[in-house]
Amino acid sequence: MSDLEIWIVIGALVLATATARSSLWLIGHHINIPKRVQDLLRYAPACALAAIIGPDLVLSPAGQVVLDLSNIKLLSGIAATLYYLLRRNMLETIIFGMACFTALRVWIG
Amino acid sequence: MTNPALNTLDRHHPQAWREAVRAGMPTLFGIAAWGLVVGVAMVKSGLSVPQALAMTLLVFAGSAQLAALPLIATGAPISVIFLTAVVVNLRFVIFAALLAPHFAHLPWRQRLMLGYVSGDLAVALFLQKYPDAAPQAGKLSYLKGLIYPNWSAWQVGSIIGIFVGSTVPPEWGLGFAGTLAIVCVMIPLVAGVPALCGVLVAGAVAVAGFGLPYKLGLLVAVVVGMLAAMLVESCVTQLRGRHV
Repeated sequence: MSDLEIWIVIGALVLATATARSSLWLIGHHINIPKRVQDLLRYAPACALAAIIGPDLVLSPAGQVVLDLSNIKLLSGIAATLYYLLRRNMLETIIFGMACFTALRVWIG
Repeated sequence: MTNPALNTLDRHHPQAWREAVRAGMPTLFGIAAWGLVVGVAMVKSGLSVPQALAMTLLVFAGSAQLAALPLIATGAPISVIFLTAVVVNLRFVIFAALLAPHFAHLPWRQRLMLGYVSGDLAVALFLQKYPDAAPQAGKLSYLKGLIYPNWSAWQVGSIIGIFVGSTVPPEWGLGFAGTLAIVCVMIPLVAGVPALCGVLVAGAVAVAGFGLPYKLGLLVAVVVGMLAAMLVESCVTQLRGRHV
């Protein structure tokens, strides 16, 4: 991506964030979001985040699905997920996950 | 708005401000750490230092920024990056629907700014303190006491990350910290079986559709995942209905 394109992306992100966060602040007191739409919106962010990290955790740099013990990102990701479920602490989870990742990388690589 | 009664209510309220700062304090370290991770991830995915600084100061949306970075690194079309950021931010539409009625009387510029900097934590803590939208003295100060320290902690962490990130060797894989951070943001959103199914389906479809042009696999994955969650939800509701 060229420098100019990245600057355009930054502008697009500002617009996307403003649209999501501020639009209802400006016009919202006239609008009631229907229950059904609220339900659908509720699932969107989690699905989007899963769609972003899925390929990073499962695919090799060559684009192959790797689901065995050689996939250190997947192993560290699972370990970090379990850690977060137990401790509910983002900072500790990131440190723990990176420690797993680094240990596996040094050990296997 | 020229209603004098409301203007009085919105005057700086030191007690509400201090209370809000105290309520938000325990989260600030975590916010700074999350900002640090995003700061590192920004320079690791090819942004220059000025671009990364501009992104953190102007965008101020951690999960949307993290979502955009792999797309920038692989050269996805700008329209796809925009749509992805909108989808990741959709939860804020609901938050805004909950929070905005409290401040509907303020001038539009102020509402624009307050909405823009109201992150997840501010919304949650504010609504705990003021569940009712009726005007009340100190409300505005309380919100500001939540969002100003939050914004500052985020920026400090992020800016440190931007400068530290450019000095760390790539084989350390620090970009992976961004993926781990997304895991931590995603898990609390996965409340219940339908959401879990939606997330698993979305992840699987994203992997299957990774090779599609224009990163379409990502958007298809979100839509299919959402529909899967809705389908499971209606099945669960029907099953419950039968057993009652």
